[in-house]
This record gives sequence, C-alpha cells and structure tokens, in this order.
Amino acid sequence: MEIKNIAPPLLVLMLFLAIWSFAAHLYDMVFLLPGPMTVALAFVSDFEIILEGVTITLREALTGYILAIIIGITSAAIMSQSKILERSFYPYAILLQTVPVVAVAPLIVLWFGFDEKSVIIISLIISLFPIINNTLLGLKSTSNNLVELFQMHNSSKLRLPAAIPNIIAGLRISAGLSIIGAIVGEFIIGSGSEGGGLGVQVIYAQGNLETPLVMALILTATFMGFAFFMTVSTIGHQLLKHWHESAQNE
Amino acid sequence: MISVSGVTKHFDEVHALDHSDLDIATGEFVTIVGPSGCGKSTLLRIIAGLINPTEGSVNKPDDSMGAFVFQDAALLPWRNVQKNAELLMELEDGFSKHERVSRACSALQQVGLEGFEESYPHQLSGGMKMRLSLARSLVLNPDYLLLDEPLSAVDELTRELLQEEIHTLWKKEKFTAILVTHNVSEAVFLSNRVIVMSPRPGHIIHMVDVPFKKRDQTLRSNPKFTKIVNEISGKLRTWK
Repeated sequence: MEIKNIAPPLLVLMLFLAIWSFAAHLYDMVFLLPGPMTVALAFVSDFEIILEGVTITLREALTGYILAIIIGITSAAIMSQSKILERSFYPYAILLQTVPVVAVAPLIVLWFGFDEKSVIIISLIISLFPIINNTLLGLKSTSNNLVELFQMHNSSKLRLPAAIPNIIAGLRISAGLSIIGAIVGEFIIGSGSEGGGLGVQVIYAQGNLETPLVMALILTATFMGFAFFMTVSTIGHQLLKHWHESAQNE
Repeated sequence: MISVSGVTKHFDEVHALDHSDLDIATGEFVTIVGPSGCGKSTLLRIIAGLINPTEGSVNKPDDSMGAFVFQDAALLPWRNVQKNAELLMELEDGFSKHERVSRACSALQQVGLEGFEESYPHQLSGGMKMRLSLARSLVLNPDYLLLDEPLSAVDELTRELLQEEIHTLWKKEKFTAILVTHNVSEAVFLSNRVIVMSPRPGHIIHMVDVPFKKRDQTLRSNPKFTKIVNEISGKLRTWK
C-alpha cells in the first residue's frame, strides 16, 4: 500500500485522538471520559480478560455466521426453485430483518437458556437475512441465455457459480453483523456471569465503573468486526478478481 | 431434415406464432427475417426444444446434435476462453479431458482466437466474444446450428467479417444452419433460403431462394444481390 493512500485516514485518526485527549484532560474525570492513553493502558493491563472475551465472542459469532451461511444459502436455493415457495416464505425472511433483535433477545434467552446457545441463535438471526436476500437475488438474476444454454445441453449445474458475486456481497454484510449479534446476545445473558465474551465483560466492567476497560472492550469489538469483514472481503476478492466487474480496477 | 409442422404458440394472452410449417433440408442455410415481435425467436427456440409449442410439432432426426448461438454470446464470465470453449463438451459428457482440450484448441484456431486462451470474456471485444461462442458450438460437430441474432451487437465492419467467417465455417463443417436476424442483407448474404415472417400473430408470409454460389465481399455489390435484398425489404415494409 502506498503512503498517499494511508496518510489521509491516518491524519484523521491523529486529529481524533488529539481532540479526545484534550477533552479528557479538560474534563478530568476518568470514569466519565478516560483519555486515549488511559484506555490503552487498560487494554494492556487487562489484556488477558480481553483476549478471553475475543476468543469467546469470536467462537459464538463464527458459529452463528456459519449456521447463517448454511441455512441462508440452502433456503435461498430452495426458494429460487419455485415461485410458490418464494412467495410463501420470502415475506417471513424479511421479518427476520425487521424484528427488533434487541427486544427479542431476552425471549430467546428465556427459551434457550443463559448460555452460548442463545448467543449463537441471536447472532444467526441477525446475519441470516442479507445472505438469503443476496443469494436469492443472485440465483434469480442469472442470464436467461445462460439458463437456456444449459437447458439445451441437459444440464442444471449452472446457477450457483453465477450467483457467487451476490452471495459474497451478502456474506460481507453478515460478517460484521454476526459479531454485533453475538455481543447483543452476551449483553442479555451476561449480567450474572463472569469471564464471558466481550459483551459480558462490558456489562461487568460497567458495573464496576471501569470506564477505561469498557472503552477498550468496545474498541476491541469494533476492530474485531472490522477484521472479520475485511477477511471475508479479501477472500471474496480473490475468488472474483479474474472475472467480475466488482473486483476490477481496485 | 428438420421439419416444423403446424406450430402454434400462445404465451398467456399473446398469440406469438400461428400455424407455421417449414422444412429445412440437411446442410441447408435458412434465415428467418421479420420485424420485432413476429415470433422468429420463438420459432427458433421451439426448433431448439427450449420452448414447447402449444400446437404442432418439430421433427428432427434421432440423435442429431444441435447447438444454439445466443445474441449476447452467453459466455461464462468466470471461465477463461479455453475453458469456455470446453464447456459444452463437459455438459454433454462422453468427451475425455484430452479430447476436450484438443477440440477446443482447434476450434479456437478456426475462429482466430489462438493466443487468447487465458483471457476472460470481459477482456474480449464483442466480435471476439461471438467468435468464442461459435467455437464453443463447433467443438460438438453439431448437425444443426441455431443462431439468434448473433451479430446484432457488433459494429458494421466486424459484422461483415463475421458473416464471411460464418459462411466459411458452414461450407467447411456442413452443418444445417437456421439464423434469425432483422438484417436483410445479412440474411441474403448467408442463406440458401430466406423466410419472411410477419407479426400479430407471427406467421410465415414469404420464402425467397438465394441462388449465389460464391459468397464473398464482391457479392455485396452484385446487382442481383441488391435486387433480392430489396425484394425482401419490400415484403417486410408492406407488413409493418
């Protein structure tokens, strides 16, 4: 990567840190607004707790995400095979997107217990719709001529590769969402337990008024989602770079 | 021989094709011309077996192998030129890996695409895409080739060049060809016989035999060629 690409966002970051530092210094109340250095120190001194949180949250989010991929692609593939199935089930897929997950999460915890299972289910619910929607779009927008070409030679092997660009778009959106879902889940189950994922740790640290740790945890969760998104994007780019317009000229 | 008898097609409310009869001899080059919506593409797809007729039937020799060349070339964007040329052999089975590669190579050479094996479709011009589409069909040694406005998306100069190439391929490979186009001069240049269709509902109104033996650039300025083109254009105009 070239300097001129990195420099502008880096400059914005420095500016942001400077203003934050200055404000924290002006306010001078660590539990309300700790400065960036204080947060960095909390990150170092509580590194073990944070690392444990990352491991647990990542495990939950990844499980939810993989389940969402399996369920999402399968149900989109089924819906794409028949207009009636699509008309019957697609509206309910939309409800997955519009249901206020934060409000439903306590119910899910009530049904599935105060443990990782509930967190995984919440992460699954939140990441499912973009995958269903994009896969279905991809499967349905395969060029008619290509469909006819395969029909002419008695084959139905076509549709999935043609849908890959759309599937990847869905996977990218859901990558970040799956982590948000896991943390929402942890918030609900977390209040009682100690030594859980990032969401649980946030609740715990908040209770102890350890604001620097809270902020360190939030930043960690944010970067984790970002890193996950970038990983999926990079894999997608590698898959598409030879042939798809979206991966050209980058 | 390919024989179309009494073929009628309704799409819901639309009466696309009405009682059409057409016999096409083995090795013949027949072109169907007509204005948009005259059912010429529908007729071609019924002959291909992609659409079932509402009434009537199409008879083709048993075990005859057909190939369809689409207007937009219909290439797989995630495959390179070589792999696209091998596609239909994979779908049809019965071709060894070695046979697929060698047939694809010689077909690509035939259409002048050697050296582009590793390119992807998005790197090709419109004319090259169509050449690849032709090569992909030719590898099957088809008994009949169905072409649906294959040259409508390329520029005038490339179109004339490709017409000459299609003619050469047809002479050499001796397949039966059925072409759909709305370019009358293309129809006359390529075919033994031109079928004129009219819309609402689509039906055959006229057939013109084209007698020329030698088909090359000089034919286009031949007065007899122009006369046939004008005759067919006249028929089309009265029905528009």
